[in-house]
Amino acid sequence: VSAPSEPPRVTEWLLARALAATPFRDDILGDLREGYADCCRRRSRIYARWWYRAHALRLASRFAVRLRPTWKRGQAMDRFSIDLRFAVRSLRKRPWMSAAVIVTLALGIGANAAVFGAIDALLLRPFGFPDADRIVMPIETTPDSNYRRGTVSPANFLDWRRDLAGTIDELSACQWWDANLVGRDEPERVEGFRVSPTFFSALGVPPRLGRGFRPEEETRGNDAVVVLSDGLWKRRFGGDPSIVGQSVRIDGEFTKVVGVAPPGFDFPLGAEIWTPLSFDSARAPSRTFHSLTVIGRLASGVSLQDAAARVEVDGQRLARDFPDENARRGARLYTLTGGMVDLGMGPILSLWQAAAFFVLLIAGANIVNLLLARGSERTREMAVRLALGCSHARLIAESLIESAVLVVLAVPLSIAVAWGFLAALHGYLPARLVRFVSGWTSMAINGRLLAITLAVAAVTTIVFGVLPALQFTRADVSDAMKSDGRSGAAPGRQRLRRALVVAEVALVLPLLVAAMLGVRSVQTFMTGWQGYSPDGVLTVRASLQKSAYPDDDARRRVTRRLTDELAALPGVTRAVATNVLPASDSDETTRIEIDGMPVDPNRRPVVPERTVGDGYFDVLRIPLLSGRVFTSADRPDAEPVAIVSAAFAEKYLPGGAAIGRRVRLVGKPWMTVVGVCGDVVHDWFDERNVPTLYRPIAQEPHADVIFALRTETTPSTLGPSVRRAFAKVDASQPIFDMMPMTQMLQENTVGLQFVAGVMGTFAGIALLLAIVGLYAVMTYLVAQRVREIGVRIALGATAADVLRLALGQAARLTTAGVAIGLALSLALSRAMEAGLVGVIRTDPQTTLLLAVALAATGIASSYLPARRAASVDPIVALRTE
Amino acid sequence: LKSKDVYVGELEQLILLVVLRLEDEAYANPIREDLDRVAGRRIARGALYTALERLEQKGCLRSAMGEPLPERGGRARRYFAVTASGLRALRESRRVLLGLWDGLEAKLETR
Repeated sequence: VSAPSEPPRVTEWLLARALAATPFRDDILGDLREGYADCCRRRSRIYARWWYRAHALRLASRFAVRLRPTWKRGQAMDRFSIDLRFAVRSLRKRPWMSAAVIVTLALGIGANAAVFGAIDALLLRPFGFPDADRIVMPIETTPDSNYRRGTVSPANFLDWRRDLAGTIDELSACQWWDANLVGRDEPERVEGFRVSPTFFSALGVPPRLGRGFRPEEETRGNDAVVVLSDGLWKRRFGGDPSIVGQSVRIDGEFTKVVGVAPPGFDFPLGAEIWTPLSFDSARAPSRTFHSLTVIGRLASGVSLQDAAARVEVDGQRLARDFPDENARRGARLYTLTGGMVDLGMGPILSLWQAAAFFVLLIAGANIVNLLLARGSERTREMAVRLALGCSHARLIAESLIESAVLVVLAVPLSIAVAWGFLAALHGYLPARLVRFVSGWTSMAINGRLLAITLAVAAVTTIVFGVLPALQFTRADVSDAMKSDGRSGAAPGRQRLRRALVVAEVALVLPLLVAAMLGVRSVQTFMTGWQGYSPDGVLTVRASLQKSAYPDDDARRRVTRRLTDELAALPGVTRAVATNVLPASDSDETTRIEIDGMPVDPNRRPVVPERTVGDGYFDVLRIPLLSGRVFTSADRPDAEPVAIVSAAFAEKYLPGGAAIGRRVRLVGKPWMTVVGVCGDVVHDWFDERNVPTLYRPIAQEPHADVIFALRTETTPSTLGPSVRRAFAKVDASQPIFDMMPMTQMLQENTVGLQFVAGVMGTFAGIALLLAIVGLYAVMTYLVAQRVREIGVRIALGATAADVLRLALGQAARLTTAGVAIGLALSLALSRAMEAGLVGVIRTDPQTTLLLAVALAATGIASSYLPARRAASVDPIVALRTE
Repeated sequence: LKSKDVYVGELEQLILLVVLRLEDEAYANPIREDLDRVAGRRIARGALYTALERLEQKGCLRSAMGEPLPERGGRARRYFAVTASGLRALRESRRVLLGLWDGLEAKLETR
């Protein structure tokens, strides 16, 4: 930043360059400086800076034209500068049209750059680790699941670590860990991970303070150590460097802080604290509990393909050696990025990229239109020049320079568009969810995004510069010379312009349809049938501390007490505890057996399991269809009971008499079905009517509980009293995610809202551009036919006849576009249906409605030009004859 | 008009007059301000430089550089002064104008 008395430095430098050939350059610069200082005194510094820039721009544009004499570096350069000045002049002659094209281009290029920025940050390089492409992630596969994270059992991990040494080094596992941190103030639940000692070195990220974990800390008993994230260290411990070596209380136990991670490191999934993943030396690790995510670094000289082959072979070996646990399981190797990324991310981002590309195509069509319009005014000039021996290449070069000038002017604007788009994305995702999207925070304008912007700009320049030029050069010289300038345009060129309009309309419709489908499904999920009522329900979560509540009995008692305290709060009519609420971002499923239903042990049904307190169905207003709800009599020592959802009863207990039948979790006692309840929608991307099993929480206590409070007031006002209720039972127990259930529902659909919002934005831009294009083409076509229309009117055609003629032409073009667009929409909505199972349903009615609306808009946009045609004065039109 | 006399346009006359009035302080910034303030003519900065250059080429103005000044970033001011031929051109145009005005007062006043 320059000193207060100095004018904007870059502007001054640029001005000095622009005035290089001006004899009184120093006078100008000096005078401007004085003027600037004056302006600073009289107005403000900000004003003066803009004053300076405005004057510099005017001076530069006046005197830079004198550059030519200094550019005597050969003919090519000279010719280039002539072409350049010619292009600038011809664009300045139509300032509004040029501005429209530049804005259009900026939107098209900017949208593409922004989506590329998102793809780059979220899909291509979500992790900023050194040599990130050498970090790999072996997973276990099963035929009926496509999860990648958290699929490896501890015993399989330990076998891999032994077998794959030399192929994948520093193989490390990590596992989700809810840490309840009791520090200097209020207890807090932080997102943690249990990790192997080699975890930090595998990622190439050494702690900024202290150390990582040691091999001996992998043994249970030695594992009371943690590494803090930089953020947590600053937030809770004030960035105190002496924290290393001190103890903090986590889950009721004193745990030594051994290190602090470097700033920004939050792998995986926004982790804030890490502790060793330890194994009990007295007990064999589990081979059936598939909860680990495993990462490692390719050994030097080993390619990804070689390592992948090794991992697959090892997966087969594990399946052979442990047929009971690993039957039908295999192993696959992903890169870290490929393994960690959410499955839905790829299709959604490709959808956006396709939409952005459509927008660019429509923008491009408008530009070709402008250049064609200019070209048609110059048909005779071109013909004369060709006849006199001007080369085709030169005409193409001229056209290229013209489109390059437009693109160069549009590039800064398109970067602003991309920036705005990314800023909107950043602003829209709730902070709570950011951690689940790796790379989200690194989504920004960076070198790669600028490079792709320039690349798109270059391609755009070439395509939209060459296309119209080919049209002139194909023109038949003798035809153009023969005509007296009346016909104006060769038929071929008119055909191209019409084709452009048809294409624009055809591209807009699928975007509109896709956006509408997205909006409709958000609406359906948020306000449509849920099977329960979220209104007036407040939710709050807690992970019960293991040291304080080590067993089922303790957990049952504290859950009971907490429920009672919460239910007693003023404004709360009833409270209930459960493991999973609909629309919460967690789920729990279990493998079940049904009495009397023989089944292959490998194909036992897997259903969502909900353990709920009594009153659950009342709090959420889920209807009971038959039988009874859970009561306080369903105690641990009473008969095990279950309630099933209607879909469960229909699918697994057919025959109408579900009550009294028996189901059980694999290896657990039989439970008697005592009731059938209505179905609920758990998640927007779930299939509807998922068979669900409910059990009393008293018979199956949980450490991770969600409380749901049915309130008589606005749920969000209850926060302080809920906190007090928890503190009354256990002041060291943190709670988290307290929010109204409606907010939970809203946040749950964020992904879908994104899809719909982005598609809607693109569709809006595309529609606007297409209307502008249609208007421009109709204006042009009418202008071409002024004489013909004049003759018609002179011969007795009425204004209505002419209006009909012009509108008829518009109608034919839009109808053709809409017809093609319908076919494209069908294909696109099929693709969306496949990508977002159960959410998007193709909707012929909406599609047709949009098609009709689009056609009407198209015809309406040509109304003004048509009116102009109808008001042609035949005397004026024919005077030039 | 005698053949060796230069012809100065209306804007050029205004500039010459402003330069005369400014005496020792005639450089681009005050010239432009006075044109606005006294003559009511707002002209673009660039146009002023072009006009000054043209007047110098015609020999109506001569210029001399002053001392380098820190507030101009170490650059000097270019002070302008009206030359003898500039004065002659002004006198000539005044003579022509006064001649034309003569006897028209009554007509112009009534309108």
